[in-house]
Amino acid sequence: MTVETKKYGAHRSPLQERSGLMNKLGQVVEAVEKYNQFVLDEVKRARADEGFGREVIDRWHETKSKTLVTHTPTGLPLPRLALPEIDEPGEIARYLFGDGLPGEFPFLNGVYREMYLEPIREIEAGSFGKNGEGGNAESKKRKIDKKKIDNQPKAEEPTRLFSGLMLAEDTNERFHYLTAHQRTHRLSTAFDGPTLYGIDSDADGVFGKIGEGGVAIDTVEDMVRLYDGFDLGSPDFSASMTISGPAPIIMAMYIAAAKRRFGPKVVPKLRGTIQADIFKEVQAQNETIFPTEASLRFLTDMVEFTTREMPRWYPISISGYHIGEAGSTPVQQAAYTLSNGFAYAEMFAARGIPVDQFGPRLSFFLDCGLDIEYIALARVSRRIWAIGMRDVFGAGARAQLFKLHTQTSGRSLIAAEFKNNLTRTAAELMLAYMNATNSCHSNSADEPFTTPSEEWIRLAAHGQAILLEESGIFKHTMNLLSGSPGMKAVERAVEKAILEEFREIERLGGVLAAVEDRFQRSQIQSAAHRYEQQIYDGTRPIIGLNRYRNGSDDIPEVKLTRTPRAKQKLQVDRLAKFKKKNAEKAKRALDKLADVVERGENCFSTLLEAVEVCSLGQIAGRLQEVVGRFRPMV
Amino acid sequence: MPSPIRILTAVPICDGHDSAINTINLEFIRHGIEVIYLGYHRSVGDIVRAAIQEDVGAIGISSYNGGHVEFFAEVVDLLRKHGADDIKVFGGGGGTITHDDVTAMRRKGVDQIFFAGTALSEMAGYVREHYGRPRKKRSPSKLRDIALARELTEVEDSYASRKRSTSNAQRPTSKGKIRNPQSAIRDPRVIGLTGPGGAGKTTLIDELVLRYLSSEGKGRIAILSHDPSVIGEGALLGDRATMINSQDDRVFMRSMATRGQAGGLSPATHDCLALLAQSDFDYVIIETVGTGQEAMPFQKNGIVDLTVLVMNPDYGSRLQLQKIVMLDLADIVVVNKSDLQRARTAHTEIEQRLEQNRRAQRLIDTVAKRHRDPGVDRLFDLISGKSVAAVYDRRNKKIRRS
Repeated sequence: MTVETKKYGAHRSPLQERSGLMNKLGQVVEAVEKYNQFVLDEVKRARADEGFGREVIDRWHETKSKTLVTHTPTGLPLPRLALPEIDEPGEIARYLFGDGLPGEFPFLNGVYREMYLEPIREIEAGSFGKNGEGGNAESKKRKIDKKKIDNQPKAEEPTRLFSGLMLAEDTNERFHYLTAHQRTHRLSTAFDGPTLYGIDSDADGVFGKIGEGGVAIDTVEDMVRLYDGFDLGSPDFSASMTISGPAPIIMAMYIAAAKRRFGPKVVPKLRGTIQADIFKEVQAQNETIFPTEASLRFLTDMVEFTTREMPRWYPISISGYHIGEAGSTPVQQAAYTLSNGFAYAEMFAARGIPVDQFGPRLSFFLDCGLDIEYIALARVSRRIWAIGMRDVFGAGARAQLFKLHTQTSGRSLIAAEFKNNLTRTAAELMLAYMNATNSCHSNSADEPFTTPSEEWIRLAAHGQAILLEESGIFKHTMNLLSGSPGMKAVERAVEKAILEEFREIERLGGVLAAVEDRFQRSQIQSAAHRYEQQIYDGTRPIIGLNRYRNGSDDIPEVKLTRTPRAKQKLQVDRLAKFKKKNAEKAKRALDKLADVVERGENCFSTLLEAVEVCSLGQIAGRLQEVVGRFRPMV
Repeated sequence: MPSPIRILTAVPICDGHDSAINTINLEFIRHGIEVIYLGYHRSVGDIVRAAIQEDVGAIGISSYNGGHVEFFAEVVDLLRKHGADDIKVFGGGGGTITHDDVTAMRRKGVDQIFFAGTALSEMAGYVREHYGRPRKKRSPSKLRDIALARELTEVEDSYASRKRSTSNAQRPTSKGKIRNPQSAIRDPRVIGLTGPGGAGKTTLIDELVLRYLSSEGKGRIAILSHDPSVIGEGALLGDRATMINSQDDRVFMRSMATRGQAGGLSPATHDCLALLAQSDFDYVIIETVGTGQEAMPFQKNGIVDLTVLVMNPDYGSRLQLQKIVMLDLADIVVVNKSDLQRARTAHTEIEQRLEQNRRAQRLIDTVAKRHRDPGVDRLFDLISGKSVAAVYDRRNKKIRRS
């Protein structure tokens, strides 16, 4: 890779000096501005250059004529793709280049052509009226075999339920219960506190935390138990693991567990996601255990391995959700998430991993709240990501896609008159789908005061089904709600604000330097403070709290499921047995690991060996001896 | 007037939810409370050790990740075990702590749990009302830190009672608490660190502590750290939150608020330092508040053996260096954050400035935030006398002190 001679920020770390890292953000800003100028130029050209103008119009007509027609349950014919009512070449060019058709660069309207559209049983194909009026007389009715349309990208199944409790076998049982009637098994794993912080269940003072809020994983044996009975190599199985600080160690345990059960040939077949987003931990969530640079190095070691050996694995989920929940503004959330993403891309590229290899393995996770910015936040993010990846990183089509999982805002939910939370979540879901998110999680209304209960989880999941399946809003026509003047106005304002944030980060020397300056952290905290202040002074109305309050809170007294002491004891005993059994081997494995890390080599394959005989805490502890511990920023 | 109430706040181990506690800390400070903030992801042992050393009236724990019934109970038990159960334990955890939990926690000795929706001012009011009373005498404890911590409190309180009407020169004669230097068990090296705010003093000290702990198999180190009091007399004493290596049984750390005194130290600093200097430590490190140009905080004390000025490369124009009195007086000048672009210029300019003094001052570049930074290694060697050319001189020290 070419060494950047352009302005390094004030803070040059050795990592930055080695690779010229994390300062491509300025180039992304330039690329987006250049692209916007390109769109304007194309508009002018379409108007001035008759030949080009005709080309544009022909393409427009061709797109319309190829648009299939669908019939609503009442029999009304509608186009499966709605397009603006324009016939002037300049405006058409503005739309085609500036927004792009769904599934086309720069992907403003979606990464796929038909996001949530229901499969067609009976369709009409034919030319479509110039002004977007559907179903004209010339269209020919015909039947299309369902199989034919099955290969089109579709909405992802929404049923990836986050789960993790007590010990591995308890979570396993829960996984089997959740997937009992599903063809595909998509498991989402929550880990307990000790696991998230890379410490063992036998560590000082963590006993009460074992199995609380997630599953306790200390060793590869726990990992075997966790996914017992599931075919990890099957194309219908995928595992998601929400963990960042010790992610490479947990990833190694997952691979080792899969190998124990299915042999080494299973590795390239493994599907799933591990969160592994260190930047957002340092910026917002505080679950990080090594100094930032060391964490990034271990992450890159892992990504280098998975992109090579596990082509179906998503080794990082670049997450704005926790940034949003920590109190950022929507613009900050998008700006920090995107800039973190570009910083990772830069880092992986600097390691020599081809962009078209890692690019398609990056995925994103955003929060969706009630502020108006959310109507276009993901749309704009998708566009900036595609332009940045293509024009700054030279990414091919698949590596330009901003694949997004959205979760409705937990912070927007409140305990007072909590049933209102159903409405809040429904509105947020609506906004999320208007952004064409690839998948979505809706929060339970009872979340502000308890671990979600079955009843409210069910209502939350049904909220999605009502919007996508019951209502006609999203299933008949792509773009039904895209491109309104209001949405366009928000898009422009949001894009401008995100680029401004990028410039600020670039001025600070790039993402890593800004992180070490606590830039994002302090911005988030200040936004959170302002939000609370607005609730307090009433300028931010919260119904039932600072407006229309009926005086009494109707919070039901809840019973929480707690991990029984006997189970916690069992986990500690198992760990003791594992440690005793492997004591000799563990020592050698840890020495070898420390040695590899000291030498600066990729340590992931050594990690794979170490997890066979060492616990999570043993490995994390030894690594901390070599690279240090994370020093909190206060 | 009475001393400000001192409390310790922390978030339990495996819990990174610090936004609530950050807000609450600020509210406490506004109500005149001195808050020693230990940070998030803290073990029971760290919390109890800090509470004892800081001799606080109460410990406030903000827990959102579950396991609170056990965690709070373990804190109470460990306090009891050390004979420090006059330190009360309170806390909260939003909706994660149920009414049943609170009943169980109360039974185990937790003083108070605030439910979601409790007004911040109500919490501050409770703390003021319940944790500010003069505390009863403790029964003798095996833990020597308990007695030392209480003695430090008495020194601080004796100043508070005659606050503002008394100048430094008329400080109380410490009621016989300061022992005769000759009776000291050890002869600790007293090292003073000063420098502008944000230069990285706290991180640097923590890294020195790490080197001390790993190079010396036994022995203890004391740290006296200062943070400014705000108007209204509260203070956020947050150094412990970043000093991850200093939360160790072999480290005695005390956080002091300046309580209205300018110059980077507290009215009680001198006597507290004297007390520590006569205790059983290998080193006593004193850290000032980030100070301005004119200050020479240690000059008058005479107890400090070695002064270290920690500089940030971003000090402004070269002319600024002429105004920094500490550059004339410090034994060692450290340019921290030497990974910054400006660091080489800073090094050259400061080197020239020191040459004017014609003294054997040392100039060291460090990157304290970097693990195993060789610059910090060199500084540690100088301070611990391992370096051949150590500026530190034991005989000199004795002369200076007498």
